[in-house]
Amino acid sequence: MGRRVDEFLAGCRDEAPLQLGVIPFGMLYGIGALAVGMPVWLAQLTSMLVFAGAAQLVIVQMLGAAAGALPIGLTAVLLNLRHMLYSASVAEHVRHLPRRWRVLLAYLLTDEAYAVAILRYARPAGPGPDLRHWYFLGCGLTLWGCWQLSTALGIAFGARIPPEWDIDFAVPLTFIALLTLLVKERAGQAAALVAALAVLALAALPYRLGLVLAIVLGLLAGAAVARRGEARR
Amino acid sequence: MSTLALVAMLAAVGALTFLFRYAMIGLFAGRTLPRWLHSLCRHIAPASFAALAASELFIHAGEVAFALAAPKPWAALVAAVVAWRTGNVLATIAVGMAALYLFKAVL
Repeated sequence: MGRRVDEFLAGCRDEAPLQLGVIPFGMLYGIGALAVGMPVWLAQLTSMLVFAGAAQLVIVQMLGAAAGALPIGLTAVLLNLRHMLYSASVAEHVRHLPRRWRVLLAYLLTDEAYAVAILRYARPAGPGPDLRHWYFLGCGLTLWGCWQLSTALGIAFGARIPPEWDIDFAVPLTFIALLTLLVKERAGQAAALVAALAVLALAALPYRLGLVLAIVLGLLAGAAVARRGEARR
Repeated sequence: MSTLALVAMLAAVGALTFLFRYAMIGLFAGRTLPRWLHSLCRHIAPASFAALAASELFIHAGEVAFALAAPKPWAALVAAVVAWRTGNVLATIAVGMAALYLFKAVL
């Protein structure tokens, strides 16, 4: 029992510093969700059902722009497709676990939990049976708890923030900040540029369907540039 | 959008997100992700964030609008410079919000 608790607590401890970056996002989501008219219970429930920061911020922004349910859902789903990469990456480490463990760890598989847990899997399991999934669980639950708590904090504060403060402008600012961190290579830059230009060119399409199409065009541009780069090498 | 439609959409997004996370651990365990899907997945975040930022800044009620007196694009430009120079998300948000209040006061 002792080693399980040790692994679990080590996961919690190593995940903790990342919460400095997570908590403002959760609060921003909570504030934004109320600002675009989401009921309090649904704003919190979404943090449990979707449990993906970027997608939840996207949903809030698109609700604010009066987009239709289908374009919002499609955009959020497209954005979350990247979790398949994480799923593929941890698959070999959790394959031996019973199904209930795999379901639980899959639910907790977010960007930040993946980033910490995969580093533990890069280190040896230690003597005896492999208990590194307890470490993974510690990472995932720490993040989950902080996400729910920061959502609740955002909801509590959000009701008191006057609309003329334009607090929802922090959402596109977040996207700009993440964009500059993400686009370091040619293919990513092409994906971003094509998507941004396409969204303006397709602005007249109803229900913000132009946004979904623009993201798809950006993806294709990124993949094309990446393939050309590979061919050259 | 009605609350019911919103709940249905959010539940569907949640269910699909879980399926993506569970896909390679449970559904297709033992198989590898196809190369083309792997390549597309890598560019999802930059494409989405760029499209969302552009649409927030320049599209109003379904029409593209470039106005020199609009405060948000200018504030975003200042924020982008901060993001590029510092790589710090919180600093970008703080300076961007301050710039928005400033431009709203002077433009």
